[in-house]
Amino acid sequence: MITKEEIQEILNKALSLVGAEQAELVLLGGESSLTGFANNYIHRNVKENNYSLNLRVAYGKKVGASSTNDFSTEGLRSLVEAAQNIAMLQKENENFVSFAKDEKSIDFAIEVDKEDVSPDFRAEYVKRIVDKSKEKGFIASGIFENARQHIAVKNSLGVEHYGEFTYATLKSVVMTDTSSGYSIETKVKAKDISLESVLDESIRIAENSRNPGTIEPGKYEVILTPYALSEFIGAMTYLSLNARAVEQGTSFLIGRLGEKIFPELISLYDDGLSDITIPLPFDFEGVPKKKVMFFERGVAKEVVYDTFYAYKANRQSTGHSLPQPNPYSPYPMNLIMEGGDSSKDDLIKNVKRGLYVQRFWYTNPMDPRNLLITGMTRDGLFLIEDGKITRPVKNMRFTESIINAFNNCLELSKESKIMYDGGSSITVPYARIKDFNFTSGTEF
Amino acid sequence: MQKIIESVLLKAKREGASYVDVRIIERSEEDIEMSNGEIEGIKSSTSKGFGIRVIADGAWGFSSSFVFTEDEAEKVTSEAVNIAKASAKTKIEDASLSEIEIYQDKVYQHVKIDPFSVPYNQKIGLLVNLNKLMDRPQVILKKANMHFSKEWKTFASSEGAFIEQERIVTGAGISAMATDGKEVQVRSYPSSFGGDYQREGYELIDELHLEDNAERISKEAVELLTAKQCPSGKMDIVIGSSQMALQIHESVGHPSELDRVLGEEASFAGTSFLTPEKLNNFKFGSELVNIVADATVLHGLGGFAYDDEGVKGQRFYLVKNGRFVGYLNSRETSRRLNLIPMGAMRADNWNRMPIIRMTSINLDPGNKTLEELLSGVDNGLLIDTNRSWSIDQRRLNFQFVTEIGWIIRNGQIQEMVKNPTYSGITYEFWSCLDAIGSEKYYHVWGLPNCGKGEPMQVMEVSHGSSYARFRNVQVGVKK
Repeated sequence: MITKEEIQEILNKALSLVGAEQAELVLLGGESSLTGFANNYIHRNVKENNYSLNLRVAYGKKVGASSTNDFSTEGLRSLVEAAQNIAMLQKENENFVSFAKDEKSIDFAIEVDKEDVSPDFRAEYVKRIVDKSKEKGFIASGIFENARQHIAVKNSLGVEHYGEFTYATLKSVVMTDTSSGYSIETKVKAKDISLESVLDESIRIAENSRNPGTIEPGKYEVILTPYALSEFIGAMTYLSLNARAVEQGTSFLIGRLGEKIFPELISLYDDGLSDITIPLPFDFEGVPKKKVMFFERGVAKEVVYDTFYAYKANRQSTGHSLPQPNPYSPYPMNLIMEGGDSSKDDLIKNVKRGLYVQRFWYTNPMDPRNLLITGMTRDGLFLIEDGKITRPVKNMRFTESIINAFNNCLELSKESKIMYDGGSSITVPYARIKDFNFTSGTEF
Repeated sequence: MQKIIESVLLKAKREGASYVDVRIIERSEEDIEMSNGEIEGIKSSTSKGFGIRVIADGAWGFSSSFVFTEDEAEKVTSEAVNIAKASAKTKIEDASLSEIEIYQDKVYQHVKIDPFSVPYNQKIGLLVNLNKLMDRPQVILKKANMHFSKEWKTFASSEGAFIEQERIVTGAGISAMATDGKEVQVRSYPSSFGGDYQREGYELIDELHLEDNAERISKEAVELLTAKQCPSGKMDIVIGSSQMALQIHESVGHPSELDRVLGEEASFAGTSFLTPEKLNNFKFGSELVNIVADATVLHGLGGFAYDDEGVKGQRFYLVKNGRFVGYLNSRETSRRLNLIPMGAMRADNWNRMPIIRMTSINLDPGNKTLEELLSGVDNGLLIDTNRSWSIDQRRLNFQFVTEIGWIIRNGQIQEMVKNPTYSGITYEFWSCLDAIGSEKYYHVWGLPNCGKGEPMQVMEVSHGSSYARFRNVQVGVKK
């Protein structure tokens, strides 16, 4: 691990080598470890120590970028030369104005895991899962991963931020001959993960979904768990909820901001400072993160911006830049869907005949503009009859639009869960949705 | 570098490892993305580091670092051994490897034009022109991209292997997205999701003929807006080579990865319907289905001289005359099923542990002309270029959407249709294959973005195919 002081030294040294009019440095990295298990034993157990220093330079409207993990003087010189060379041979980008300017920082302390999460610590958790699984005659797979990451941003316009964040994720997928069960939990501190909860849910779903019966595809009322709902709405974040998609004409929100397009119960926002996500108070341009309300009681409100699209729209960045350049920017990394007043059990009780969907898998957009998504159910699909889960059924493919599903949403639970993947999180409740379209089945 | 390798091998042995290998990778990359005439991103990046894989107490451990000192190498080796010892707490049996021939070799890749020697303004100039050529009312998003990478990899093992390999990759593509305010349609060239990638130098850029196709795809994207919706029902389809690459990837490549089959990817990617008892004993498709895994194919993105266990790249059949006959395997998984290790273990960089990956998975071409393929269809579809894909975690139920299709009526290509969608169950679908186009239409497509593993690894693979005709396939989506 590099210390905060060493990181500052690297940034200062690199910045001093830059001759361009503007420069922006982003250093990201740290240590991450992952203990993977399958067939009731640890089969992959890995650790990584790596950082990346990204540099952007600008000469007027010409921007160049480079990155390296070589922080020697020679390495930094090469980094600067590469970015400056690109910028000078560059075509002017008429819409580029400036890198981020210094904004007053939010006074926000990130809570981190101070304790060392050793391979032995992770192995003990895994052992508890595989021992229980073996006792039942089942097969357990999953991961226990943890990371300690640094992010530092410094630019020639006075922006300077440093942050450290930690997270740990425990996932268990338990399989029987005819079924599987899934559970996952992510926390800032490894010791806050509830092993019992992950173990119990994955084993219980696997046990209860054995010997699934067949069911005809068609429209069903569904209860989507937070796992399923987060997978389903994940595509919305990059397809619709950002300034680029609106500006380029690919978002369904074009011309609809301010309009009530969903029922009252739909409120979706991004909040990088919320303690129900993995918080980070600034983005990869060093802009403080602002809370952005996408849908408030069904009304479309706004989308996220980075500095480039903010200048283009003559407004302020919302602090949602990914490391630049990238093909996604800007991006909501702390998405939260507001829950309702009912419990998860109440949601199930209110279903006359429908399906309980533990998880979706391999979801992909078929019609990006209208958010038509297809995917499979996985790791637990159950029939609900007269308010009770009655029996497991075989997996099915769904083909449904997120817009339709939000409009058909009848109820949201008060319980919610954080789903964390690749640095961004989605925190969502259970949802009861009518007329959800399943289009075909499979053999298991 | 030699000192670091010696430190690792010595330290691992001293700490009780029964096997150790070390990979050192130095990689440079260059990416240029142009969108609507503006450079959206242009970046050069370099990365260097080493990864150490050990077996200690009969279990696996891996650790990696970007710090190139002997002290760090010793520290990371100790970490790998300690991690392996932690893994051993749940061990059921000792990890063991198939015997292989041990090589010492140095392999260079010949290219005509080093892509890093071509000035940025030349590359940008071409992308600007491509954007201009795609300019057209209703086309809201014109994209053009290029990617270049150069890598030097050193592999050494406690068994005496010492292999150095060079790898140079070039890729490029264009796309045009059109809208009428209600829907969007996209056309790409030469393929979707970034174009085509090969183990070649900058000469590939000329070979792709991007400028000759930019106007055409832009026009087709607009035409799709007013094209008829693809019909639904069972019909015959002729699939173009680019979409076949995706079909092979998802329904043949992934299910024949032996780590998936043995449950090692169950927590993320899933398992496979090609369970061990099916080897040499399962009708995968019609007798015309001959699919080879070929790491030796010239320029193929999935090709290499040696994999990341030091096994020499090979060519062998996964499906022969419709029968399932082979797995993509590793030294460890091949030993478990008593198979010959065929060299499919790769990691996407120095900081990842190798896993089983596709090489170049290719459907042998047939002998039909396109006219002959079409002439056998009374009422069907010709479709190509993937737009969306989805398949279940055992690789059975799939549903794919292509960018474009045309009705085939009485053996003739007729009107264009939009949103062509087809679905099926893998082995039932491949049983419907009744004719394959000749070598004339055959192309090995480079896919740079195959995701697999935890932690995630993004691998370069490739797939060869000609046109292929399938009978009585489910087309469209049930409402």
